[in-house]
Amino acid sequence: MAFLAVEDRAPKSRVVGRMVIGLLVAIVFLVPYLVMFLGSVKTRDEILSYDPSYLPKDGWQWDNYSAMWDTPETPLPYNLISTIVIALAATVLVLLVAVPAAYYTARFRFPGRLAFMGLVILTQMLQPAILTTGLVREMLLLDIGDTWLAMILINAAFNLAFATWMMHSFFAAVPKEVDEAAQLDGAGKFRTLFTVNLPLVWPGIVTAVIFTFVSAWNEFAASLVILTTAENQPLSVALTKFVGQYNTSWQFVFAISIVSIIPVVILFFFIEKRLVGGLAAGAVK
Amino acid sequence: MTTSTASEPEDQAAKPATRRRPKPQGGGFPAALPWLAPALLLILVVVVFPAGYMIYNSMRHIGKNAVDDGWAEPTRKGPDWGVFSNFGHIFTDPNLPRILLNSLVWVVVVVVFTVVISLVLAQFLSKPFPGRRLVRMAVVVPWAASVVMTTTVFYYAMDPNYGTLNHLLEQLHLVGPDGFGFTKSPVSALGSAMAIAVFVSLPFTIYTLLAGIQSVPADTIEAAKMDGAGRLRTYFSVVLPQLRNSLAVAVLINMINVFNNLPILQIMTKDLPGYESDTLMTYIFKTMQFDKRIDWASALSVLNFAIVALIVLIYVRVVKPLKEV
Amino acid sequence: MKKTWRTGALAVAAIGALALSSCGFSGDKGGDSASGSGGGSGESVALTMLIPTYSDGTKGLWEKTISAFEAKNPNIKITLEVQSWENIEGVLSNKIQSKQAPDIYNGGAISSFAEAGQLAKAEEITSPETLANFTDSFSENEKVAGTQYGLPLIASDRALFYNKALMKEAGVTDVPKTWDELLEASKKIKDKTGNPGYGMPLGKEEAQAEAAMWILGAGGSLGDEQNITIENDQTKDAFAQMKKMMDAGVTQSNPGSTQRTPMMSGFVQGKMGFVYALPPTAADIKKQNPKLDYGIAQPATKDGKPVTLGVADRLASFSQDQAKKDAVKKFMDFFFADDQYLAFVKGENFLPTTKSGATAMGSDEALKPFIDLLPSSKFYPTTNPAWSDTDAAFKALLGKLEKSSAEDIAKEIQAKADAAS
Repeated sequence: MAFLAVEDRAPKSRVVGRMVIGLLVAIVFLVPYLVMFLGSVKTRDEILSYDPSYLPKDGWQWDNYSAMWDTPETPLPYNLISTIVIALAATVLVLLVAVPAAYYTARFRFPGRLAFMGLVILTQMLQPAILTTGLVREMLLLDIGDTWLAMILINAAFNLAFATWMMHSFFAAVPKEVDEAAQLDGAGKFRTLFTVNLPLVWPGIVTAVIFTFVSAWNEFAASLVILTTAENQPLSVALTKFVGQYNTSWQFVFAISIVSIIPVVILFFFIEKRLVGGLAAGAVK
Repeated sequence: MTTSTASEPEDQAAKPATRRRPKPQGGGFPAALPWLAPALLLILVVVVFPAGYMIYNSMRHIGKNAVDDGWAEPTRKGPDWGVFSNFGHIFTDPNLPRILLNSLVWVVVVVVFTVVISLVLAQFLSKPFPGRRLVRMAVVVPWAASVVMTTTVFYYAMDPNYGTLNHLLEQLHLVGPDGFGFTKSPVSALGSAMAIAVFVSLPFTIYTLLAGIQSVPADTIEAAKMDGAGRLRTYFSVVLPQLRNSLAVAVLINMINVFNNLPILQIMTKDLPGYESDTLMTYIFKTMQFDKRIDWASALSVLNFAIVALIVLIYVRVVKPLKEV
Repeated sequence: MKKTWRTGALAVAAIGALALSSCGFSGDKGGDSASGSGGGSGESVALTMLIPTYSDGTKGLWEKTISAFEAKNPNIKITLEVQSWENIEGVLSNKIQSKQAPDIYNGGAISSFAEAGQLAKAEEITSPETLANFTDSFSENEKVAGTQYGLPLIASDRALFYNKALMKEAGVTDVPKTWDELLEASKKIKDKTGNPGYGMPLGKEEAQAEAAMWILGAGGSLGDEQNITIENDQTKDAFAQMKKMMDAGVTQSNPGSTQRTPMMSGFVQGKMGFVYALPPTAADIKKQNPKLDYGIAQPATKDGKPVTLGVADRLASFSQDQAKKDAVKKFMDFFFADDQYLAFVKGENFLPTTKSGATAMGSDEALKPFIDLLPSSKFYPTTNPAWSDTDAAFKALLGKLEKSSAEDIAKEIQAKADAAS
């Protein structure tokens, strides 16, 4: 069990103390989703029962998890694929765009540097939610209304600020000597960035990747109006299809919500170890 | 420490070996362009048009039928400000002062609590202990879940009739058999919304700080310990200053996102009549949904944007997040 | 070596994703519409249709109708978009701004679109036979300045649902017909059973409907096509009576911030004495709690004379060009014919708006109380352009009745209505 490994030499009592606190922290962060999960295995009537119970009383409705994939309301398998494609592509795009910009602005002074960083942060202040009218028109003008590409561009554009600023602060913390050494070896700027700097800033990349992926994964306002074909819509929009005028299929809403958390946690599982490392691992001698 | 060997010909000045050195000069903006072009292109293509369109709409008259009837005209009650009459309308709105105050309280309370709790938890999660990875994964879950759904679950659990939280409180005899109406009064609804906002902002902030802590060289901390500094003193004199950059970015992004947050308040205050618990963001959406006036909503959005920009400007001036450590 | 591989993989992934993403799933899944064999009268027409979700069956019902229609009319292709009630109007206004207004729209208020000339007239999108088949009072309600635009789709009215078991337990023998009786009976239920006697949802969801039930019950009205009259004696009377119910403690707690839907599930579960409810609630009870011992009666009014609030939703068309209008006409004639139409109305558990539909469904036992009440139904003045502001004002302000005075609330709502007209 790799995750049980202890890397330092803290006294045993302190380690036990940390484990207890850790358990409490985990519980606090998970309880709402436990409620969500328990709701997802109840019947609709039980969720809205005036005589609530914590655990399902009428049996655990595991078939909510199979029934939700095939409902008349929304083509859920397609929605899942759309969400994955849009979020992954937007994240990759953000990295491709933000890393060079962050590196250069952190390493070099040039006129317009502050203006550029200011422009970038403006994109964070403007959220798609209040720009939907313009976004719809724009995507129709570009002739990519109702496509994944439209949402990939939108998600990337409105989320590049954090990645750029975060990576900027990490690149800025990498000592110049690292670059200089690489360049003495004859490396160009691109190679210096990719082979020398990037491995040192993994924690920043990880945080930026999660931030972008999660934002794109859960984006709602623009997807709602831009993606009109049910198959193209992401899970966040698909969920609303279960909300009727006078009744809502809460069991499906909860089940889909639980399912949509999983890919993000899996992504996190694979990149979490990169949080350690970088400068702390002592790459700088 | 070595003296710097300049990477660029312009930067010839060898500086003393302090941590604060000017950066090497690039070759001016043209040299920077290839590095910035992708980001600039993305912003120009995607963001500029809708932002401009919002500003344009704020100066047009767009009635309930969503049709643009030309430049803005003064409304019945609002002053005649020419094409800025939509702004005249919103500035004379009697609800505005309360809404601005709410927005301010909302952003300050949520960000302060988020940051303080995150600093503590990030420090804790940087310490090694068995199962740490699992705890870190638990912490990421509220981030992974959509804010809408997290809020919905809270709203559901807080319902006086079928909510499990109220059920628990009833069993513990903390509230009467009718439950407590968390979302039924402005104060408790706003308070609950703030708690949820802190809850969903924590993972992002914790991870940003955690990433920052990872880049604090271990030997610096060791050195402080060797000097006999206590744990608190080590934290405040060594760790916190090293966290400055991550903290600055985390606070900046949090301020913007919390100010612009819509779903939490929208869900938690949806039961309440009137505008006592609205922030600028929820008010914009009420204007769209109930008044069905895109022009007024656009004017409010421009105001919203101006306020956020102002806050960010002040913040950047005071905190200087772009400054090197 | 490993790093180079990783960078390479990243680039490949990026290119792959971008290549993929330029497409997305195509909206046209139903095959090419050009394959029109026999009946193709000219070139193919593509229509867009935007509809809200009434229940979890809505999308399925429309899809069935559309595929049956497309099979008969191979040169017409209908793209269906379904949205929740909460989102549909926002989506619509975005579409209008981008000149993508739907050819078929199922909505609530449409008079502002009609006034601005954005809608096709009813006679342009139905045959005279179909148009004549709508129940007259519903057609009348769709007229803006004398011209009919909307086609009444489904109707409902509200009746008093009473829980027989709770009434028995509290010793209430007669179903209340007047305000005083309702208050009295509710009080007994509250005192004897501990359950709320009367469910009063004044939250944003449908505050205007609850208000209308009481205002109509006081002999008042909400106004007509020209005037919105809220601030008058009948309204104040109604509001005062509502306050009396709240002050007597016979309602559920926090009526000012209670949404209708969650409250209704309390009645369905047998935890409430009286509520005003719609036909679908009867269907919900049958499905969720068939054991519930309840009855349906006329609403309680000030003087006991029956009157209720009727609501009809409608289909309308934003089509501008003739080919599309003709295609919409074909669809409407197809849909409003009894076989398709009755399947839809029954599926949604609402009341029909067509004469032949009413005849066919008149014998339906479950709907009978509602059909009987239809003649005494009054409607929202939806054709008055100021109504949507008034409606918004009810939703935003009525909940304050719990704490403010009846006069103040009536005045505030009237002020909003006046500001709009």
